[in-house]
Amino acid sequence: MTGPPGSPRDDDPGPAGWSVGRVRAPAFWRNVRVLQVLGQVVFVLVLLWLLRGLYENLRSSVGRIGLDLSFDFLQTRAGIPIKEGISYDPNQSYLRAYLVGLVNTLRVAGVGIVLATTLGLIAGVARLSPNWLIRRTAQVYVEVFRNTPVLVQIVFWYFAVILALPVIGGGSLGGVAFLSNRGTAIPWPRGEPGAGVWALLVLAGIPLAGLAHRWRTRVNERIGEPTRPLAWAAGAFLAVAIAGFVLTGSPVRFDVPELVGRRYEGGFQLSGEFTAVLLGLVVYTAAFIAEIVRGSILAVEKGQKEAAMALGLHPAQQLRLVVLPQAMRIAIPPINSQFLNLTKNSSLAVAVGYPELGSISSTIINQAGRATQVTLLVMLTYLTISLAISVCMNLLNRSVAYRGVRR
Amino acid sequence: MIGPPEGSPRVVLAGGDERAVAIAPAAVPLTPAESLRQNLFSSWWNGALTIGAGLLVGYLGQALLRWALVTADWDVVAANLRLFMIGRFPVAEAWRIWAATYLIAVLAGASWAASGARLRWTPSLIALRAIAAAATLAFLLFLLDGLRIWVLLVGLGAAVGLGVAIGRAGARRLVRPLLIGWAASFPVVIVLLVGFGGVPPQRWGGLVLNLLVAVVGIFASFPVGILLALGRRSALPAIQLASVGLIEFVRGAPLYIWLLFGEFVLPFMLPAGLDLPRIVRAMIVVTLFSSAYVAEIVRGGLQGVHHGQYEAGRALGLSTTRLMGLVVLPQALRNTIPALIGHFISLFKDTSLLAVIGFIDALRIARISPQGVFQGDLKQTLLFAALLFWIVAFSMSRWSQRLERRLGVGER
Amino acid sequence: MATRDGDAMIEVEGVEKWFGRFQALKGITTRVGRGEVVVVLGPSGSGKSTFIRCINRLERHDRGRIVVDGIELTDDIRDIEQVRSEIGMVFQSFNLFPHLTVLQNITLAPRNVRRTPKGEAEAKAIELLERVGIPEQALKYPAQPSGGQQQRVAIARALAMEPKIMLFDEPTSALDPEMIKEVLDVMAELARSGMTMIVVTHEIGFAKAAADRVLFFDEGQLVEESTPDRFFREPENERSKRFLSQILL
Repeated sequence: MTGPPGSPRDDDPGPAGWSVGRVRAPAFWRNVRVLQVLGQVVFVLVLLWLLRGLYENLRSSVGRIGLDLSFDFLQTRAGIPIKEGISYDPNQSYLRAYLVGLVNTLRVAGVGIVLATTLGLIAGVARLSPNWLIRRTAQVYVEVFRNTPVLVQIVFWYFAVILALPVIGGGSLGGVAFLSNRGTAIPWPRGEPGAGVWALLVLAGIPLAGLAHRWRTRVNERIGEPTRPLAWAAGAFLAVAIAGFVLTGSPVRFDVPELVGRRYEGGFQLSGEFTAVLLGLVVYTAAFIAEIVRGSILAVEKGQKEAAMALGLHPAQQLRLVVLPQAMRIAIPPINSQFLNLTKNSSLAVAVGYPELGSISSTIINQAGRATQVTLLVMLTYLTISLAISVCMNLLNRSVAYRGVRR
Repeated sequence: MIGPPEGSPRVVLAGGDERAVAIAPAAVPLTPAESLRQNLFSSWWNGALTIGAGLLVGYLGQALLRWALVTADWDVVAANLRLFMIGRFPVAEAWRIWAATYLIAVLAGASWAASGARLRWTPSLIALRAIAAAATLAFLLFLLDGLRIWVLLVGLGAAVGLGVAIGRAGARRLVRPLLIGWAASFPVVIVLLVGFGGVPPQRWGGLVLNLLVAVVGIFASFPVGILLALGRRSALPAIQLASVGLIEFVRGAPLYIWLLFGEFVLPFMLPAGLDLPRIVRAMIVVTLFSSAYVAEIVRGGLQGVHHGQYEAGRALGLSTTRLMGLVVLPQALRNTIPALIGHFISLFKDTSLLAVIGFIDALRIARISPQGVFQGDLKQTLLFAALLFWIVAFSMSRWSQRLERRLGVGER
Repeated sequence: MATRDGDAMIEVEGVEKWFGRFQALKGITTRVGRGEVVVVLGPSGSGKSTFIRCINRLERHDRGRIVVDGIELTDDIRDIEQVRSEIGMVFQSFNLFPHLTVLQNITLAPRNVRRTPKGEAEAKAIELLERVGIPEQALKYPAQPSGGQQQRVAIARALAMEPKIMLFDEPTSALDPEMIKEVLDVMAELARSGMTMIVVTHEIGFAKAAADRVLFFDEGQLVEESTPDRFFREPENERSKRFLSQILL
């Protein structure tokens, strides 16, 4: 007999000569399969009816106040002043304003994710430090900042810290960086002629570093002694970068912000709002990441560490070669959630006036009214961003997953 | 040469056996100096770290303490305490809140005692608790004015004590009644607050508003979340797709956007004539948001139930509903209690977003109370609001950790 | 031991079952009479478990007929439920409900499916626990008793629904050796009391002592069926001979 079956055939005589006759299908109202399909059909119908009802209500209510459900309004003039972000002026469309918000969200989320991971890693490892003081300090940090709402933290950073900083012209760090209640201004590298050439040279340094790494690894495989391939690779890269820098005539200078009138000019400027939101998000999320890091290191079986010890590896090696690689695999999915949370929490910037997606949408709704379209657009946007982050983390997850484990 | 080394202590076994048995010296407890050495200065790197960290922490710590105790004026908090706690809840009806609090206190005390927990009294814990008690007392003495509130607070302590006594007396037998009690406490509290000429949700405020919205959110999202989780695991594609779609869509957007939805879009979706108050719409949105997360948590719990359980149930002839209700869900929910508590803590913290939508919750009070005489005291009010949130969240998190440890021991 | 003639409790005709492209059962035909004890032997992957799981509809057969006590197993819900209520099953991994006591495990189904009142159900449960030899375990939770005791609880739980047929899917395979006997003893007593049983097992001793008939499965086919005596001494089929040579030293 081959192939998947169909239903029993009527004329199948059956073996052993027993009187089989045809297999009767049960009455449809008692037939398990029919009921399953029927159940789904009913469910879908009810769902569609419900959705249609909501939609109809929406349309008629919106119509009654003279608006519609189209997205055309996005092309009309916004008239919204936005303090920071990509180039924009209030005469541009709502769509443009929306885009400004989107970029601002990506900015704060991107920098936030990087900083939060770094701080979280440090705090997580500190939580496990044999040094009692470090351990307790990290614990206090985590317990305090995890249990306070992130909105309260952001508001606090902004109103109680940033706005309390000295006015422009006041505080400075070493005369080159300036903190004020309007934000931070720090020196920033600026390219001169020849910088392009230098950049190319630096890029060329990367494959060179790769070659150096491979060479030293081969030597190590041959002779067994440690040959520090990473150090050599880094050294090669730096050598090329520095040599290139000198050869092209030092084409990069630091732009130091200067006080001009009532503002700073030059350098790189971070608005107070951005700084507050960034600080709030980073400190909050890092506390959660710290717990994840700690949990994942603890979750690596004790036996692994013992086996590493028995093999003669010393603590740093145990950590680097055995514990951390396994801990990382455990930590990636929950850290992904934290990244998504950070991105979504950035919408709280509305409380301090940082013009990201959440606050700009809110303004658009207040001004243009079409709340349905705007909320739908915003939800889809955040959904897409979340998806993008999750896809990246999934790729990372897959690349570190154990081979050959059947899940 | 066989036999124990020279000088090792000799023990005479009771049976008269004269063979000496070498006993290792008992572990000598570390003196304070040695303990310090081991924990903080075990190596030069460690020592350097300790000194560096110590200086930093010390500096920040004393700066913070100096500001908090000397520089800052906390009168703004004392003057607005009632606002912080209950917002503009009419004072004449405040007894309702006290009644609800007493009820919860008795339940909490009984639950704690019935679970067999006992306070441990090691020297360090005694010291810690004494300091905490003293600090709290000092803080309260500063904040609270008048005899009445002190009487009410002492009464609260007595209520907890009563609960503990009941719990100790009943122990295991009380588990079921207590569970019913907690489940019933939700509608009872609502009736207490709203019923019989009470105060509708529109007038709630302060910390109580945050608590109530969180509690309503959790209770209401529980059944919805379980349904969504079951739907997501359904073998029927239509139901599974719908569940997944809803869960991912709700989780994909920030709560703030959903609150905007509840504020601006939901009213249009409702049939004309149905006018829900703002706070109710916010609660609906919070419930929806919470359900998606509860669904994911319960789904994880369902996955943890051995598939053999389904088979045994079916072989016994249990119908699907009975199978789910009597066998699968109880196990799934038990597995996920710590995660559910963690979610409740998050939900509670998220209620601070009500401030941004214009509701008068604890955070909003913190923002608006520094006026007039108290102009510029924003730091104090914000810190106090943060403290209120923190106390609730931290206690729940501690409780959850304890629960996790006890459940994880696998008594069953 | 019951005879083979008389009413057939279970009739299986030409049953075939696929899992995707893999055919697990390739046309099984047999009968089990009332009170008969049938032992199913065979290498792993031969379809033994699939076969008995088809009988109480834990798996759905794709072709052929299965008739249990006169009721044919089709997609008809009511028929399925009725068949299930007449069959009890004991699993390799016990599958006791961990959140309920032993007593509650046994009374759950009678109280919720048969609507038996609590007192009556509990009395019956204690009786069954005594029958399997462990009445003192009644208030313990499943994780506490030993493996052999847990499996006996599982047997009592299945018996609480007063089945006419008992299916055993490798009931002792997950037990430590010293606990196997206590479970087999219970099963043997059950056989003596006249229960119709189908037992998938590797325990040859049990087959020799308690079985009326042995079914040998290999690669989805019912290769040979005969009495235990004849099967173990002079198997007719080549594959049977090979299997026996592998398991008997």
